[in-house]
Amino acid sequence: MSIDVRHLSLAIGETHICSDLNISFKPGEFWGILGVNGVGKSTLLHTLIDIDAGHATQISIDNVLLSKYKNQRKKLAIKTGLLLQEYEYNFPCSVLEAALIGRHPHLSNWQWESDIDINLASQALAQTNLMHLKDRNIISLSGGEKRRLNIATLLTQNPDYYLLDEPTNHLDLKAQIQILKMLKHIFSSTQKAGIMVLHDPNLAYQYCDNILLLFGNGKWASGKTREMITVENLSHVYDCEFEAIHNNHNQYFIPLHI
Amino acid sequence: MIIQSQADMVQHIFSKRFTFLLPMFAIIALLAIIASLFIGSYPISANEIFQAFSGSAQPVTQTLIFELRLPRALAAFACGAMLSIAGVLMQVLLRNPLADPYVLGVSGGAALAALLVMLMGLDVFFITSGAFAGALLSIFLVFIFAHGKGGWTVTRLLLTGIVMASGWGAIISFVLVIAPPDKVHGMLFWLMGDLSYDRPLLPGYLILVTGFLLTLPLCRHLNVMIWGEHQASSLGVNVSRLRLSIFFISSLLTAGAVSLAGGIGFVGLVVPHFVRLIVGNDHRILVPISALAGGTLVVLADTVARSLMAPQQIPVGVITALLGVPLFLYLLRRSQ
Repeated sequence: MSIDVRHLSLAIGETHICSDLNISFKPGEFWGILGVNGVGKSTLLHTLIDIDAGHATQISIDNVLLSKYKNQRKKLAIKTGLLLQEYEYNFPCSVLEAALIGRHPHLSNWQWESDIDINLASQALAQTNLMHLKDRNIISLSGGEKRRLNIATLLTQNPDYYLLDEPTNHLDLKAQIQILKMLKHIFSSTQKAGIMVLHDPNLAYQYCDNILLLFGNGKWASGKTREMITVENLSHVYDCEFEAIHNNHNQYFIPLHI
Repeated sequence: MIIQSQADMVQHIFSKRFTFLLPMFAIIALLAIIASLFIGSYPISANEIFQAFSGSAQPVTQTLIFELRLPRALAAFACGAMLSIAGVLMQVLLRNPLADPYVLGVSGGAALAALLVMLMGLDVFFITSGAFAGALLSIFLVFIFAHGKGGWTVTRLLLTGIVMASGWGAIISFVLVIAPPDKVHGMLFWLMGDLSYDRPLLPGYLILVTGFLLTLPLCRHLNVMIWGEHQASSLGVNVSRLRLSIFFISSLLTAGAVSLAGGIGFVGLVVPHFVRLIVGNDHRILVPISALAGGTLVVLADTVARSLMAPQQIPVGVITALLGVPLFLYLLRRSQ
């Protein structure tokens, strides 16, 4: 059981995202993907579940090639879920209805949402501290509330592999910690896998078990968080000097202003 | 436990809404069609209608009901239902609650073809089939140009449609200018929505039923599609196939409506918007109820159009616009 990437070389136009990437994301693991803007983190994340892309034969999910899910899209959506960086809010609807969308792959065409589905959505809203807003129109939510709703929708979908594109966007510092703590707890206690694109090496250091670094020009490195997030590697990835501050067995990384 | 009881409540809203609203809208639609039999320049009593249905009414009444008012009401209903379903679909395709069935220029192509047929002096059959062919041609052109090299985007589709529509508009103006004066009145009438002439109903109803039956299995996917293509795709929807299906079904329905009655404005925009406010965003409910509500609206609008200034007739599109514009402005002002 895992998402396995074998010999994946990915590029958009002239930008090489990764060359010959070999990596396995296993249940219970929380992965962080770090890299500068435009290095292709989101593209890589999307590629992991893009059935229609040419790379679908280099990725397998639970020992089945991604391309084999072509006619079982709902089955794939039960195994994998994606938190996008940005969402569209075109039509008015309530917070609870929005979270219920996550049940789509679990229901057949004419099955109406049952108590079970509504309970799952309510639980997800409670986990993201949105239960008190469940009847509110989504258009009236703040940026941070919308972000927590996106996460609640993914929790309602409850896939085996959570693909998270910058989940902490728009969240205040306390909410960032709450959300990542909650996700880490879910991943380790229910044997789910998390694969997260993030811009904060300190949060990644605190919560991720493993790290994939994208250096640009197709170069990459992966491994245990403590071995990957180091002053040298961060300086290399972000092309700026870093300093580590030690405090109570913990380390914090700060970029130096030159 | 608190969560449990709240969940119960929502569950009831979801299922009861449908079992209550669908029959209600069906009955209203039926009442509207019956009302349209009574009302008109020559009033008919309930008694006469009963007699007509048992075949014992005066020949004049019989003709009035079965050859004029009933076919006209049925044409109006089909037209409104098709425009409303097409409106719902177009709003999902463009992910914009303000999109309408004509936004991609389908009606322009249909109108130009219909006007050219009128210019040649051919009869109703050719006008209807010409309009349908014009609509299909327009759909095909939009499809080819919007697809381009980089695949479809909402913006590209919308731009192609709008540019195409204004192109058709220019040629239509040209045709109106060069047309002989005795034909211009009929042309203008057609452009504003005309249900006054006798037309075959069967093709229209075939398109309505086909479009409706093709839309129903897509409805659950439409619920997810309004959240954007990436979100829909990650929830298990085959987005490119769904997009194509929506495009062709909505275009077919619009072509059906335009060839049946010309350009009736505002129905495809206002009805889905209004029904969304009542039933929410579950398209399994929204699509059938929009069809019924749209049909009802056009039946009522056409009844008003032919009796308000009788014997002078008003194009039905004028009435739907007069109803639609204030209603729409009100809804727009009320929304956040």
